[in-house]
Amino acid sequence: MKGTGVSAGIGIGKMLLIEEHSLEYTPKQVDDAQAEKKRFKDAIDVFCKNTEAQAETMKKTVGEKEAEIMLGHISLVQDPFLLGEVDKLIDGGQCAEAAFESMCDMFIQIFSSADDDVTKQRAADVRDVKAGVLGLLLGINEIKLSEAPAGTVICVKELTPSMVAEINKENIVGIVTETGSTTSHSAILARVLEIPAVMSVPDIMKQAENGVQAIVDGIKGNVILSPGEAELAEYGEKREKYLKEKQELEKYRGKPTVSADGTGYELVCNIGKPDDAAKALEFDGEGVGLFRTEFLFMDKTSVPTEEEQFKEYKKAAMILKDKPLIIRTLDIGGDKDIPYLGLAKEENPFMGFRAIRYCLKNRGLFRTQLRAILRASAFGNISIMFPLITCVEEVREGKALVEELKAELRAEGIEFNEGIKVGIMTETAAAGIIADLLAKESDFFSIGTNDLTGYTMAADRGNSDVSYLYSALQPSVLRMIRAIITAARENNIPVGMCGEAAADPMMIPLLISFGLTEFSVSAPSVLKVRKCISCWTKEKADEIAEKVMALETAEDVKEYLSSVI
Amino acid sequence: MVSKVLTVPNAQGFHMRPASTFAGAMGKYPCNVTINFNGNNYNAKSTLNLIAACMKCGSEIELICDGDQENEALAEGAKMIEDGFGE
Repeated sequence: MKGTGVSAGIGIGKMLLIEEHSLEYTPKQVDDAQAEKKRFKDAIDVFCKNTEAQAETMKKTVGEKEAEIMLGHISLVQDPFLLGEVDKLIDGGQCAEAAFESMCDMFIQIFSSADDDVTKQRAADVRDVKAGVLGLLLGINEIKLSEAPAGTVICVKELTPSMVAEINKENIVGIVTETGSTTSHSAILARVLEIPAVMSVPDIMKQAENGVQAIVDGIKGNVILSPGEAELAEYGEKREKYLKEKQELEKYRGKPTVSADGTGYELVCNIGKPDDAAKALEFDGEGVGLFRTEFLFMDKTSVPTEEEQFKEYKKAAMILKDKPLIIRTLDIGGDKDIPYLGLAKEENPFMGFRAIRYCLKNRGLFRTQLRAILRASAFGNISIMFPLITCVEEVREGKALVEELKAELRAEGIEFNEGIKVGIMTETAAAGIIADLLAKESDFFSIGTNDLTGYTMAADRGNSDVSYLYSALQPSVLRMIRAIITAARENNIPVGMCGEAAADPMMIPLLISFGLTEFSVSAPSVLKVRKCISCWTKEKADEIAEKVMALETAEDVKEYLSSVI
Repeated sequence: MVSKVLTVPNAQGFHMRPASTFAGAMGKYPCNVTINFNGNNYNAKSTLNLIAACMKCGSEIELICDGDQENEALAEGAKMIEDGFGE
């Protein structure tokens, strides 16, 4: 059965179905309102005490931040408005169950119909709280997940944070749910606990039975019920392989990134939010090679203020301390629209008014962002990077603006890093061809292979009729990459790559041979890339690159690289 | 009655943590504390009300305190919002 894999790994065990308790009751008329209110208050007190205990356990098993979710539940049931309304309903003759349930349902309904995801997710918290308090009022004992035997696969409609708090990670080998997605609280918790999990499996509660054997493939997002001998053997092997690889990669944690002949490389991460900087460090990244700033501008109704942006950039810088943080200025347009900016619909947005072009024409917005970045540069190792550069003037104009703002800040007595580096994304065919000119204007290059491939091949990878052309292994793209790296080396500036190709094992020997100095990859790829780099010597990489660069088609390149890697 | 018009500055708006911290802080004051947003009044001592109001970053809101210690409540509440709940 297919679902969404939200926590990698493979678990094989016996299903434990966690049925939602029937929290049904017959609403009754209450005569002694005082006694009923006391019964309700007692239930709330017990709920808070239990939840506090769960939060304590969670602090140890999962983490401080995750435990805050449970503490939030306490603040929900102690809400004075909620308690006041429940008391009123009880005074009106309703029983505690009915009074509390109707108030919770009201908020579940309001939260679910909200137009933003954060509020929507809070409906799950209210449901969790409602079930907990009703269970106490009705005297129903919850299944204790903490007592589940070793080798248990939990199967449940919706995994709530309070359930996760009860999980003993030694005994639970997998999690399967009917609802939830990669971003839900419980998915995050499953990943922290390193338990393979598949969510959004339709009707799993009806299909599965208690005690039945199951395979949970959190990598592919599959669940196999009552597997046959062959499947068990196959997945048993996959599981071993996964764990072995993971263990193998762990050896590279905390180690420097060096090739087999001792050349050092920078291995950093691509992030989209300040908090992801912590994730980059968690996965042993050596800094951030690309901080996309679009998120700051999305889900907003107007341009974020300088103060607001400053706080976010500063936050990321403080997390990374002295490790590098390359902030890319706003890269909107193309497929990334921001409604309040009122960008006109274009015939051909990828060749239109986007990224640096938009920013240079909308100085107010650009100045605000650059000032915020400059101010944050006093708190860490920040560099500025301009996207979509196609000609020398764009770099000069951008840098002139940076200098102007520096003078402004100086005059205002505001601190910033005087020596802040300003580099560019080399992601267009134009930038590749004039890389030698651009290298004289820039402090560093970062090759964005996704756009570079698209613009060089004039092919949209989302269009299935032409996507066969879209490959970083095309001889044209490889020549472009080599030219960019060579130009950077000749001008003694660092050159990184922040596209997907930087983590591709087939690409890595070529990049080593060309002379790339920095690899910027997604956080989970860090250890894999470090291992891959450690396998190559310059000599061997040169040998392969020489052969590859003499090949005439992408197919030949792919075939040759597959045969040697 | 005293009031102040404010803009929600933090990226996530009144999500769980700010809402419960704010409601908790306002709960200490005897006066009524309400937030007027988009023409509706919300009980600012209630986490649930604050979340339900869906106030986002950039939302313009009016914080209204009425009763004993209304000036103190307004001062503390306005400062919390202006500081972006320390986020």
